[in-house]
Amino acid sequence: MKGKKLSVFCLVLAFVFALPLFALARDIAPVVSRDWLEKNLNDSKLVIVDIRKVEEYKEGNIPNSINVFYGTWAVKKKGLDNELPEDDDLFDVIGSAGIKAGSHVVVVGKIDTVADQVNLTRVAWTLIYGGIENVAILDGGFNKWKEAKKPISTATVKSKAGTYQGKTNKSLFATKDYVISKIGKANIIDTRMPDFFFGVSKLDFVERAGHVKGAVALPSPWIFAKDGTFKSKEDLEAMAAGVIGKDMSKESITYCDTGRLCSGWWFVLREMLGYIDVKSYDGSSQEYAKDPNAPMVKYTWQ
Amino acid sequence: MISGISAGLLKGHRFVKRDEGKTCALCHGGRVYPEYTGEYGGTPDVHYQKGMQCMDCHKKAEFHGDGKAYASRQERKDRPVCTNCHPAGQEKTEKAKSAHTTHAGKLSCAGCHASGQYRNCYDCHAGKGATSKPAFILGRNPRDKNMITTLRVIPTVRDTFKAAGIKMEHFDLLPNYWDTVPHNIKKRTERTRSCDVCHVDKEVFLTKEKLIPGGSKANEGLIYTPKSIKQ
Repeated sequence: MKGKKLSVFCLVLAFVFALPLFALARDIAPVVSRDWLEKNLNDSKLVIVDIRKVEEYKEGNIPNSINVFYGTWAVKKKGLDNELPEDDDLFDVIGSAGIKAGSHVVVVGKIDTVADQVNLTRVAWTLIYGGIENVAILDGGFNKWKEAKKPISTATVKSKAGTYQGKTNKSLFATKDYVISKIGKANIIDTRMPDFFFGVSKLDFVERAGHVKGAVALPSPWIFAKDGTFKSKEDLEAMAAGVIGKDMSKESITYCDTGRLCSGWWFVLREMLGYIDVKSYDGSSQEYAKDPNAPMVKYTWQ
Repeated sequence: MISGISAGLLKGHRFVKRDEGKTCALCHGGRVYPEYTGEYGGTPDVHYQKGMQCMDCHKKAEFHGDGKAYASRQERKDRPVCTNCHPAGQEKTEKAKSAHTTHAGKLSCAGCHASGQYRNCYDCHAGKGATSKPAFILGRNPRDKNMITTLRVIPTVRDTFKAAGIKMEHFDLLPNYWDTVPHNIKKRTERTRSCDVCHVDKEVFLTKEKLIPGGSKANEGLIYTPKSIKQ
């Protein structure tokens, strides 16, 4: 009897330790290099999605890449920017891009500004939410690809459009009510710059300055090095651990002003570092601060 | 200063490689182009999402003409029409088929498929400068009152030319709202998803209360209140 109890305990323990591995059940790395992409350009499983404007794509693109502009993946809904498309619209976009459930997707874009950089993580979040697990980002985007004199095409590639009927991963998504219910329980991560967190700066469309009560500050612009590439995994790991600790199973929710910037730390925490339960609140401050009953604080780092 | 036009003009008669984002958008960059790409606060037109640009729909005959001087672009019969590429009867769902049959000849395609707010100009030439803001307006087409369509505010008010000593005595003959096709078309919109948006809520329609202050009396003729759906 004692032996049986021990076996069950060992099984449970093994399952708990294996959880991060399930969460990271990827076939490709979350961030891929220019050399890796060049070697894999003709991989039949690979779909390279260029999210720049149509005009920019036509001027020069990575061979075999298809163009699906950023605005397709993050839409305006009910007065809120950067919202998830409705499920049927999202599935249409994924299907018409020729992406299948088992595809390996590499997202490519510009890295000129922080907004450009987090456009990449925002599209990755949307694809993973849409049921595509193997989504990677090209480190340094098209800028570094071009700088490295990698092959460039001016052909417009027609995708192998099909029908995609996936299942959205609701566990990656938080609503306003959900965020409020998790105050004091989950890591709520404000990914805006510190002056916005503290409440001395505010965008016009955000009704109240400050941050969600109990949130911690971990700005997404700090994920990237000055040249627009991702900082090293060690640096990112240390930054995350310094703010939310090393408990990989504790729930985390990222937010920002509109739901774009917050995808940066969402991507790093879940896809690169292996935090298991990470959600993104795409309504973010644009929605949250409108509700006078939603708890917010300012002029404090707490 | 014309709102939205900020890219400058083509240098002389210098021809460049076709690039609608530069060439067409120089003049149409205030309203149409940013609506099309989604950069005017909305979402990209479905045709832009598919990689299409201006000249995929607007063929060269529209630009070069056919030798005849037309009084208005409305007289041209070869302008882009949705049903040229999407003819009735090819719908994939019964819901779409039924909606198209029911509204044929009564409602423009954009009435349902324009995805959201588009730029409208208010207060222009009213002695206090120009302001533009997004809005979505459905009402009767002033060119065909039996057709309901998307309307755009044309910024001329009663005292537009007051400073020049022009009274505009016939101001009330023409409305301030004209039919428009916003370039922000989507397969699905809130109106294609639910009949109630038009037939119960009715918030997207022009009403007497929404008319621009001091506007033409002809504006009232464009007001349309949809009926409830008979079960």
